[in-house]
Amino acid sequence: MVQTFAAWLHGTKLSWAVAGGVPWIWLLCETLHFMGLALLVGIVGVLDLRMLGMAKELPLGPIQRLMPWAVLGFTINLITGSLFFAGDPSQYIHNVAFAWKLVFIGLAGVNVILFYVTGLYRRVDSVGAGHDVPFAAKLVAATSLFLWVGVMYWGRMLPFIGNAF
Amino acid sequence: MSFLQTLENSAFGAWVRESSSLWAYPTILFLHTVGLGFLVGLNAAIDLRILGVARKAPLAPMERFYRVMWTAFWINALSGTALLIADATTKLTNPVFYIKMSFVTLAVINMVRLRRLVFRRLAIDGRAVGGLGRALAITSLMFWGGAITAGRLMAYFGPVSGAPGLQNRIPTR
Repeated sequence: MVQTFAAWLHGTKLSWAVAGGVPWIWLLCETLHFMGLALLVGIVGVLDLRMLGMAKELPLGPIQRLMPWAVLGFTINLITGSLFFAGDPSQYIHNVAFAWKLVFIGLAGVNVILFYVTGLYRRVDSVGAGHDVPFAAKLVAATSLFLWVGVMYWGRMLPFIGNAF
Repeated sequence: MSFLQTLENSAFGAWVRESSSLWAYPTILFLHTVGLGFLVGLNAAIDLRILGVARKAPLAPMERFYRVMWTAFWINALSGTALLIADATTKLTNPVFYIKMSFVTLAVINMVRLRRLVFRRLAIDGRAVGGLGRALAITSLMFWGGAITAGRLMAYFGPVSGAPGLQNRIPTR
């Protein structure tokens, strides 16, 4: 099924355009993908590092208002990443580094969902300047940093461990 | 042999470029990406706060993130130097590389000025940051954006470099 989808995708006009048909699309997506990466890692980094005890004078509630910008970074990367995939699906579907990258993104998603549905988000939201977040939140923060750095690792390994490009 | 060739063919340069170990080119490139994420990302978070995002958060404690940003900067200076040695003849003759370095220099000077002007000199909290501070936040985002753009384009314009077998090119049909 994946094969069929990949073959169909490869035959689309979009795929042609991304994979060199319209050269600037690939260059633009590459650039945006790294800007999205910085935005996501930077904002998530501020929140995670604070929860782990750095810059403790920051109250958690107000800095959580930075989150929409991390979501923006993620969205940019989801779109540009999907375009890379469309450009040359076969490079990705047989690529073990790509599989791991998706697993890590998925786990990072689960980590965020747990943070919200367990109510940890609300407990953290009221943690003021100078106070520690609950231990469970520190665990979520450390896991988040590990997983996002892992996503960057697998992304970088696409051509080396995997077979892309 | 020219200086650039000597550099590129040094034992270290050859190891970075040609070793089949994941600890050579791949890991150095990975470190360069992580450094980028934390340096540019944390700086962008500070810029956004200055520009009014999450304005109820006090700005002063965010100065703590400068330590992480400087660590990330040095990771990238070192990993970047290693990548440069490995591909000296192609990267140091690529005009896009010099554009990238100009943007990085501007961005780092901007980062230092931002610290002096916004964090050190102004009693910031409870007050809006002044026009110059806001201007520096905007130029910070622009310079880092320029550095990322030039860094990406380096792989596609001018003499091509990179580890053998890695063709960092637009895929062609």
